[in-house]
Amino acid sequence: MSGTPPVRSRNLLLLDGDLRSTNGLARLLREDGFSVEVLCDGASAISRLSREPLPDTLVTEIIVPITDGVAVARFATEKRPDMRVIVVTRYPNLLGASSFGDACPAVLSKPLDYAQLLELLEGTLAPAIARPGALLPGAGEC
Amino acid sequence: MPTETRFQEIKRYVRLDERDGELMRAFGDLARPELPRIAREFYDRIREHEDAHAVFTGEEQIQRLQRSLVVWMTRICSGTYDEAYHEQTSVIGRVHVRIGLPQRYMLTAMALIRIALLRIADQALAADAGPTREALVRILDIELAVMLEAYQDSYVERIEQAAKQERRDLGEALAQAEHRYVSAVELAGVIIIGLDREGKIQLFNREAERVTGFARDEVWAKPFAEVLALDDGSGSLPEQLASLLAAGTQTRELEACVRTRAGKLRDVTWSMSCAQEKAEGVVLLATGRDVTDEKAKEERSRQNERLAAIGTLAAGLAHEIRNPLNGAQLHVSFLRRAIQRQSDPQEMLEATNVVGDEITRLANLVTEFLDFARPRPPDFKPTSLTKSMEHACGLVEASAKTAGIELTCDVPSSDVDFPADSAKLTQVLLNLLNNAIEAGGKVVCIRGRRGPRQVFIDVEDDGPGLPGVDAPIFDAFYSTKEGGTGLGLAISHRIITDHRGTIDVSSRPGRTSFHIALPLEQNGGA
Repeated sequence: MSGTPPVRSRNLLLLDGDLRSTNGLARLLREDGFSVEVLCDGASAISRLSREPLPDTLVTEIIVPITDGVAVARFATEKRPDMRVIVVTRYPNLLGASSFGDACPAVLSKPLDYAQLLELLEGTLAPAIARPGALLPGAGEC
Repeated sequence: MPTETRFQEIKRYVRLDERDGELMRAFGDLARPELPRIAREFYDRIREHEDAHAVFTGEEQIQRLQRSLVVWMTRICSGTYDEAYHEQTSVIGRVHVRIGLPQRYMLTAMALIRIALLRIADQALAADAGPTREALVRILDIELAVMLEAYQDSYVERIEQAAKQERRDLGEALAQAEHRYVSAVELAGVIIIGLDREGKIQLFNREAERVTGFARDEVWAKPFAEVLALDDGSGSLPEQLASLLAAGTQTRELEACVRTRAGKLRDVTWSMSCAQEKAEGVVLLATGRDVTDEKAKEERSRQNERLAAIGTLAAGLAHEIRNPLNGAQLHVSFLRRAIQRQSDPQEMLEATNVVGDEITRLANLVTEFLDFARPRPPDFKPTSLTKSMEHACGLVEASAKTAGIELTCDVPSSDVDFPADSAKLTQVLLNLLNNAIEAGGKVVCIRGRRGPRQVFIDVEDDGPGLPGVDAPIFDAFYSTKEGGTGLGLAISHRIITDHRGTIDVSSRPGRTSFHIALPLEQNGGA
């Protein structure tokens, strides 16, 4: 890699009920130097987010077993206002970005383009796509 | 011997003879000065009585009548009692009838006259009054008898008139009733077809003409079932009709379509009722309602509902396939990288396995989606409750053992057969049992029981229970299980509903129970 891109996220929490895909994703991310925790239901995520050290980025599905990604994202940004939220979902059209309150996430739809996620995490994504909520309907609201 | 007149016959009966005539003539001379007084007293008496007085129109008439009474009494005493005399008496009688003098007053008035005249005889003749009294009594009774005849004649006439009027009224009522019934039959919005003993058409109303397109003279006296090509799909309709015609007392509902004049088929719901009387030879009335349009509408709305459900499902599917696609995609990304790096072949093999698994998941999703979206109607066969339960338990026994679950199969004390599609039922039981085994408890129980009209199958587990009472567990793509398609319970629900049964659930931590009820009889098939 040339130069030193502004690395913003190193500690990730991955939340998705589809554990097998998430494990595949975690493996790629770990190879790329991220520290990754994987959880597969909302309750465990909230319990994890209740204790330090908090991750700096939450990557979550919207629909997850027991509560949902939105509630987890809100909880996470309450605990840590600068928490970055990236939504990776099979329901890209389900919710407006404003549903996430202050979280204002970037939204990527499944099947996930790993390179795109990586660019987002490393802060090199083109601004138009990187803008929080860019892929959500009603994006301008946040 | 010349025929005796009625008057002669009466005279003979009371023995009124010439001698009486002479006596009366003599009496007439005696009585004449007294007659106006008698007439006056007579009408004074009448004035005392409301009903009797009511027949008079005024004083002038009474004066005239008093004079007539004097004339009448004079006539009685004339001593000549011939046919002319009889005729005059009859006329007087008819006048009484005409003015509406009640008979009782005629009779009692005659008593007054009689007493007055007898008194005159007694006073004038003293001890010799006997024969004259007899003559008086005879002639006065003859007067009464003749006048009563007038009343009788009048009664006969009135009765005849009343009867005539009654007949006229009856005729009108009949005509009216007929008109009413003809209108009712003709204007009724239902098909009304009357059949004789041979099942031939004798009555064909306007709605029957409208629906079938046949005019009544085209179908008159033709066999009902044949001319309308009646078909209820059973093939035994002609026999059914024949037995109905023979039995003569039953009513039967049936659905049979008819072929119209133009050759189109119309669905008609019939009610066949046997008429008790043989009016016009009609012994069976077939009343029918054309339900073709209703049925088409129902079918359309069912179709729409299905399309809507499939639409919802398709939208769901579009989301659900993203998960396995995602898994495959991520592992392909990993594989690409591993190949570039020439990594450990074992790692790469594992990744390709995952991709293969994800593709299988996708295929399952699509298969189950089609199962749900394009279900075959259940193939109902008598199915043993006990065997169905034992079969399903056998299939999950191994996985229960692996998961360390204690599986109980609680069959009914005596087996019961009920109509079901056993393959589909097994699918439902397997789905419920697998869910129960994977619920995370220790004990799973399937229990079968027979109710009065249903069989009940409960599947219970002692796992942590459903996430909430309102969890939409029967909705497609709702899943709390890792790798679940979210279609299992939706399909089970659909299968049970197709069996006209119900499935519901009650759940609390430590006990979750799915409750299936299936009817013991399937009326009308699927």
